[in-house]
Amino acid sequence: MIVYRRVKVWSVLLRLYHWAFALSIITLFLTGYYIHNPFALGPWEGTPTNFLMAKIRFVHFVAGYVFMAALLTRLYLLFFGNKFERFTDFIIFRPRNLVRLFHTVRAYLYLGEHESHGGHNPLAGTVYLCVLVLSIFMALSGLFMLYPEGGLWASWGVALFGTQQIARLFHYLLFWVYLIFVMIHVYLVVWNDIFGSEGIISSIFSGRKFLKA
Amino acid sequence: MSRLFANGLMKLRRRDFLKAATIATAAMGLPASMVDKVAAAIKSPARPPVIWLHFMECTGCTESLLRTSHPDVATLILDLISLEYHETLMAAAGHQAEENLKRAVEKYRGKFICVVEGGISTKDGGVYCKIGGRTALEILKHVSADASAVVAVGTCAAFGGIQAAAPNPTGAVGVRDIVKDKPIINIPGCPPNGYNILATIAYILTFNKFPELDELNRPKFAYGRRIHDHCERRPHFDEGRFVEQFGDEGHKKGYCLYKVGCKGPVTYANCPTQRFCDVGVWPVAAGHGCIGCTEPNFWDNMIPFYEHVPGVEVPAGQGIVGKAERIGKFAIGAAAAGIAIHAAAGVIKKATTKEKEE
Repeated sequence: MIVYRRVKVWSVLLRLYHWAFALSIITLFLTGYYIHNPFALGPWEGTPTNFLMAKIRFVHFVAGYVFMAALLTRLYLLFFGNKFERFTDFIIFRPRNLVRLFHTVRAYLYLGEHESHGGHNPLAGTVYLCVLVLSIFMALSGLFMLYPEGGLWASWGVALFGTQQIARLFHYLLFWVYLIFVMIHVYLVVWNDIFGSEGIISSIFSGRKFLKA
Repeated sequence: MSRLFANGLMKLRRRDFLKAATIATAAMGLPASMVDKVAAAIKSPARPPVIWLHFMECTGCTESLLRTSHPDVATLILDLISLEYHETLMAAAGHQAEENLKRAVEKYRGKFICVVEGGISTKDGGVYCKIGGRTALEILKHVSADASAVVAVGTCAAFGGIQAAAPNPTGAVGVRDIVKDKPIINIPGCPPNGYNILATIAYILTFNKFPELDELNRPKFAYGRRIHDHCERRPHFDEGRFVEQFGDEGHKKGYCLYKVGCKGPVTYANCPTQRFCDVGVWPVAAGHGCIGCTEPNFWDNMIPFYEHVPGVEVPAGQGIVGKAERIGKFAIGAAAAGIAIHAAAGVIKKATTKEKEE
């Protein structure tokens, strides 16, 4: 008989970040894809107007600001969060985490036991860090396109991307990266909930995981 | 004004002159009260000497400038400046022309404006563009060293243009990559609007300084805003009414060209307000999307002209050009297949191992 402790892992701020990030990304997916390829056409001339594209763009921009707020929150928590939330807990440049990374990969290949230590496993943590870096570029390319005449964003945008078209391409390619990330993320979370013992899905609501005593 | 009429070639009436001065003033974003000042500057006898260099280009910028339906713009520009050297317009040829260039550079050292039309070849010492035995690179370095400022007219001179498109066999670049120590104004476009050239020169003469420039050294009065944000078809965009393909019902009704690859949303220029050919037309008004000709590397970045985003080379630099969307869908498919295989393995494992009591 194994005894488990219920350990507080995720702070309120991190859980708020996660859900703001998740919901904003879903909103940005749906509205962003419409903006890229307006498959549903607005009303024909002569019928009452509804400014379909303008409204969807508005929702996209609002969701974009939520996304950026969530991003800044996570970046703050990387340095000032609790011990599970700081980047030092899961970056792979630590002997401890290299061992954990090996265990994680082994478990994902159905070759070993699933281990849990509380926070992110180093594999997931590394992917999350990459997604955060991509999110910064996503936000910068979005702001460049949103404020084409704004002095600061225009200067940064030209320095980073050269032209609006490259920023747009970048923004669009990252859309697919996020889509794939979300797919794999959701799958692995469900997988971990089935094969692991942490209660990983409930932890992002309650902030608590079950760890071996 | 008498000077304008003294030249028998120019039949510019005062009404036309004021009209052109007004359009130039409006292009600069100045109020109507400034028209007199701009007109006075255009009329002033202090004509800045200009050396106009042609390199790798089609001469379309000069042609479009000279062949406006009314003589206003070209006449005014040619009257506004003292053109010391211009291969398309001057009577001299051969050694005589080269002599003229040499003499003009010496005579107006430090005072003349160097206007450049066309890209500059840099590969293999720049041998792919030679005039009178000298490479374009040599000529530009030599002439710009003594110029007070350099104005790059057209996308080729500003950013390299079509010959700089991948794979850029001649190593073509724009003026900004060669001339580092002189103030540069870029007036890109393929071709640029004549009024933007006139307004830029008139601005310098009126205020004795450069107009405000953006990050790419383009005058903000002409290139400060995206085409999309001043487009007459913008209401159709906001309403979600699009041309699905050329010639369809939406196209006949003048809907937005976004879905057939209009690059207006990513291109800075004043085409929707300044327009062309003295009759108020521009590509989008005529039913064709913007191709983004005022942006750097537009031959590489804005193609395909009838698609929303450019193709992405996979693997990079090796040629199989796929659309970003196809790549994205392929990656999604691969990820989904991976997930399915992984999940199937999990199901098999669950089914074959006995559950432990915990």
